[in-house]
Amino acid sequence: MIAGLRQPAPAHTAFAEARFLKMLDRPLVVSGQLSWLGDDRLQRRVEHPRAETATIADGEVTQQRDGKPARHFSLKRAPQLQVLLDSFVALLGGDAARLEQAFEIQREGDAAGAWTLTLVPRDAHVAKTVARIRIDGVGDQSRCMHMQEADGDLAVDLLGPLAEKMPAEPTRAELQALCTGSP
Amino acid sequence: MHRGARATLLVTWLLALAGLGWIVSQRLHVSSDLRSFMPAPTTPDQRLLMEQVGEGPGSRLLLLSISGASDGQLAGLSQGLAAALKKDARYSQVLNGSFDLASLDPRLLPYRYLLSPTLDTQPLDEAYLADQLQQRLDDLSSPAASLLKNLLPRDPTLETLKLAERWAPAKSPQLRDGVWFTPQHEALLLVQTVAAGFDPGAQQQAIDGIREAFHVLPGSADARLELSGPGYFSVVIGAQTRHQADWIGRISTVGFIALLLLAYRSVSSLLLSALPIASAALAGIAALTLVFSEVHGITLAFGFTLLGVAQEYPIRVLSHRRAGEDALQSVRDLWPLLLTAIASACIAYLAFYASGVAGLQQLAVFTIVGLLVAGLSTRYLLPHLLPRRVRDVAAMGWLIRARGWLDRLPRPRWIPLLVALAIAAMLALAPGPFWQNNLAALTPVPSALLQHDARLRQALGAPDVRYLLLLQAPTEQGVLALSQLLQPQADALVERHAVDAIELPSRYLPTVAQQRARQQKLPDRAMLEHALAGALQGMPFRADLFQPFVDDVETARALPPLTPERYAQTPLGQRLAAMLVQRDGHWLGLATVSGVHDVAALQTLGADRGGAVHLLDLKAASESLVAAYRTRILQALLAAGLLLVVTISVALRSARRAWHVLAPMTLATFLVLAVERVAGIEISLFHLVALILAGGLGLHYALFFERDTGDPAEQRRTLHATLVCVLSALLVFGMLAWATIPVLRAIGLTVSLGVAFHFCLSILMAPHARQD
Repeated sequence: MIAGLRQPAPAHTAFAEARFLKMLDRPLVVSGQLSWLGDDRLQRRVEHPRAETATIADGEVTQQRDGKPARHFSLKRAPQLQVLLDSFVALLGGDAARLEQAFEIQREGDAAGAWTLTLVPRDAHVAKTVARIRIDGVGDQSRCMHMQEADGDLAVDLLGPLAEKMPAEPTRAELQALCTGSP
Repeated sequence: MHRGARATLLVTWLLALAGLGWIVSQRLHVSSDLRSFMPAPTTPDQRLLMEQVGEGPGSRLLLLSISGASDGQLAGLSQGLAAALKKDARYSQVLNGSFDLASLDPRLLPYRYLLSPTLDTQPLDEAYLADQLQQRLDDLSSPAASLLKNLLPRDPTLETLKLAERWAPAKSPQLRDGVWFTPQHEALLLVQTVAAGFDPGAQQQAIDGIREAFHVLPGSADARLELSGPGYFSVVIGAQTRHQADWIGRISTVGFIALLLLAYRSVSSLLLSALPIASAALAGIAALTLVFSEVHGITLAFGFTLLGVAQEYPIRVLSHRRAGEDALQSVRDLWPLLLTAIASACIAYLAFYASGVAGLQQLAVFTIVGLLVAGLSTRYLLPHLLPRRVRDVAAMGWLIRARGWLDRLPRPRWIPLLVALAIAAMLALAPGPFWQNNLAALTPVPSALLQHDARLRQALGAPDVRYLLLLQAPTEQGVLALSQLLQPQADALVERHAVDAIELPSRYLPTVAQQRARQQKLPDRAMLEHALAGALQGMPFRADLFQPFVDDVETARALPPLTPERYAQTPLGQRLAAMLVQRDGHWLGLATVSGVHDVAALQTLGADRGGAVHLLDLKAASESLVAAYRTRILQALLAAGLLLVVTISVALRSARRAWHVLAPMTLATFLVLAVERVAGIEISLFHLVALILAGGLGLHYALFFERDTGDPAEQRRTLHATLVCVLSALLVFGMLAWATIPVLRAIGLTVSLGVAFHFCLSILMAPHARQD
C-alpha cells in the first residue's frame, strides 16, 4: 500500500492546518503548500493568514517571514518536524522500510478503499513530544494528518483538495468528519 | 690506599649520592611557568604580559574538532563531550553551538529584564505587548512552536532568546544537527581551561581530560578528535623537543662511552669518571632546592648544558697519568691549573648571580655548586679509586707524531689580528637582524598544526591570541561602565571590517547603574496586568496564561542588581570573571578581539579615554621582555669577562701569560658569533648560553696549552686530554646540531663551532714550547 502512495519529487500538495493548543481558547488555522523537494528536504509554505516559509534541509530548519531575518534551528529541537519529515518523506517516497524504522505502524482499511495509518514514534526522545500520528486516506491519496502531542495539543492537517474545506473556526469533531467523510 | 679502604670510600660516595638523590626527589619542585624564568618586568605592558601570559582568556582556549563520522554521529559526540566537560572543574567554559535553555540558572531567569537591552528603548506597554503576542501566535502556528511553547507563559517577549543570541559568539560557525560544524564536516567545540595557557603541565592534564572524556563516549572509536590552541601547542612542542633531545642524547651517550673506552681502555676508569659529574648534578639541584622554593625547567636544561664543562676534570686526570705513577700524584701535579680553571669559571658565574634575575640566579647557584663539587671530588675522591697501574698515553706513537706535527705548525704573530679583522668583516656583512627576540621562533609550531588552527579559528571566530584590549578603571563597575561606553565605537570598528569581533565584558553584564535604570522602567503589577489585558483583547490566549510573566517582572523589580561576584557561580559568570582582573588597587577589563585586519584603527578605540583603554600587543611586549632579558645577560657576561681577566692574571701572575689564555678564548667566542651571523642565524638567549659553555671549555684548552712544563711527554698528555675533551664535546653537541628543532640546533651548533675554534686558536696562539 505504501509503495502505491509514491510520488516523484518534487511533490507539492496544498494543506490547511488547525492547531488545538491548551494555552489557546480557539484553534490556530493556517493554510499554504507542503512540498517534498527530494531526499530529506521538505518545505512548508504558509500563505494565510501571514506568509512564512519553513524549509528543512540537512537537519536544519530555516524559518523566513517577510521583513524579518531568517531564523535557524536544529531539527533535533523540533520533534514535530522530525516526525513530519519521517512520515511525509517515507510516504511520498513510497519507502515502507523507512516508515517501519521510525514508527510502529497500525493499519485499518475498508472495502471502499479508505484507510487509516496510525504511527507511533519509536524514538523515545521524539515520543516524549509526539504521542502518535494518524493519517487518513483513500486509495492512493492521503487526506488528513493528525499529530497528537504528548501534552494533549493536537494539529490536524487537511491535505490536497480537502484543504479548501477548512472552516474558519474548526472544532475537532468537524475535522474528524471531514477526514473520514466521503471525498 | 687499601682495597678495603677503597671499597669503603666507593660505597660511602655512592651512599652520599643516593642521599642527595633522595633529598632532590623530596624537595625538587620544577616549575614550567615561563614567568619565573623571566626578569622582572619594567614597562606596564610587560607587567601585564607577565600577569596575563597564559592567563588571558585567549591563551586558555582550546579549539577542538571531531571528524571521521556522519554529521549526525559527530553532532552526538560533540554534545556528549560538551556535557562531560561542563561537569569537569578543569574547564571554565565549553561551547559547541547548542544553546540549551536549561543551562540557564532558573534563579537568574528574572534577571533577563535587567540584562537584556530591550527596556532601554522599549517600555513594556500595551502596544509593545500586543505586537509581541501577535508574533507569538504566528510562532505557535509555525514549526518553531515546540521550541517556544514551554517558554511562552513566562517570557512572551522572548528576552531569554535575545540574551542567548547576544551571548553567542559574534561570528558563529554554521550549525548542523544543533552544533557547530566547519565547511569540511568537522564538529567544532571551544573549551576554555582554568589552567594558564603557558603552563604545559596543567595544559597536558586539561588535554588528557578532554581525550579521556572523548574516548569513553560511545561511537568515538571511529571518529577523530583534534585539538588546537596555544596550550595544546606548548604541550606538543615540549613533547617533540624532549623526544628529539632524548634520542639524540642516547646516540651521543653511546658514542661518548665508546670514545672514552677507546681512549683509556678501562671500563672501571670510565665508570668511576662518571661519579664527579653525577655528584655535581645532584649537588647542584640539591643546592637549588635549598635556596629556591621552586626550580625552573629552563634553569635545569641550561644548567645541565653548562655542567658539560665538568666532564673535563676526570678526563684531564685520566690522560695525564704517567706510567707507574699513583693517580694521586698525577692529580696533585694537575691541580693548580685545574683549580685555576674551576675557580675562574665559578667567579665568572657569580656575575650571573648578581644579575638579580631569578632564572639566572638559579643558573649561577646550580653551576657554581656543580663545578665545585665536580672539581673537588675529582681532586680528593676520584684518585683514591682509580686503578693503580695504567698505560701512559704519552708513549703512543700516533700521539708523538701528532704533537710533532702541531709543534712544527707556523705560528705567526699576526694570526690574532687576522682573526679579529675577519670577525669584524663578517659581523659587518652579516644579513638580517642580529638578535632573535621571538622565543617562540626557537620552538616553532609545525605548519600543519598552524594551518589547522587558522582554519578552526576562522570558522569559530575565536579570539586572537596576540591582541588584548585593556580597559582600566578604579572599580569593577567602572570597567563595566567604560566597556558600555566603548560598545558603539567597537560596533563601528566591526562595521568597518577593521576587526571581525570585539568581545567587551559588558556584553555579559551591564553596570549596576544600567540595571537599576532598566528596573525603573519595569511596570508595577497593576500597570502590567492592565497593559497585558489590553494587549490580549481579541487574542485566543487563555486569560491567566501569562501569570508567570507577570510574577517574573514583579520579581525583577525588587532584585538586587547582578554583580560579578553573584554572577560567578554560573558558567557565563565564569566567562566574565576571566575578563575582569584586579591589580594594584584598580580593575582591568580584558576584551578579546578576533580577526584583526587594521591594527591602527583598533588602537584608536577609546583613544579619547585618557589612557584608560589600551591595545596590548602580546607579541611586542614579550619581545621587549626578551630584549630586556638579553641586556641583563650581556651585562652579566661583561662583568663575568672582567672577573675572568682579573682571576686569570692573578692566578698566572703574568699579564703576558693571561693574554695567551684569554686572547684565543675571546677571539674564538666572537668568531663563533661572526660565523653564525654570516650564515644568517639570529642570535637568541640559547645561543648566548651555548657560547658561555663553549667559552668555559675553551678556557681549559687555552690554560693547558699555555702551560709550559718543559716536558714533551707532558705536552703529549695535554694534547691527548684536550683531544678527548674536544672529540667528546663535538660528538655530543655535533649530534645536537643535526636536530630539526631550532633550540636544540642552536645549542648544538654553537658549542660545536665554539669547541672547534677554541681548540684551533688556543693551539695556534699558544707560546711555542721549545722556543720558550
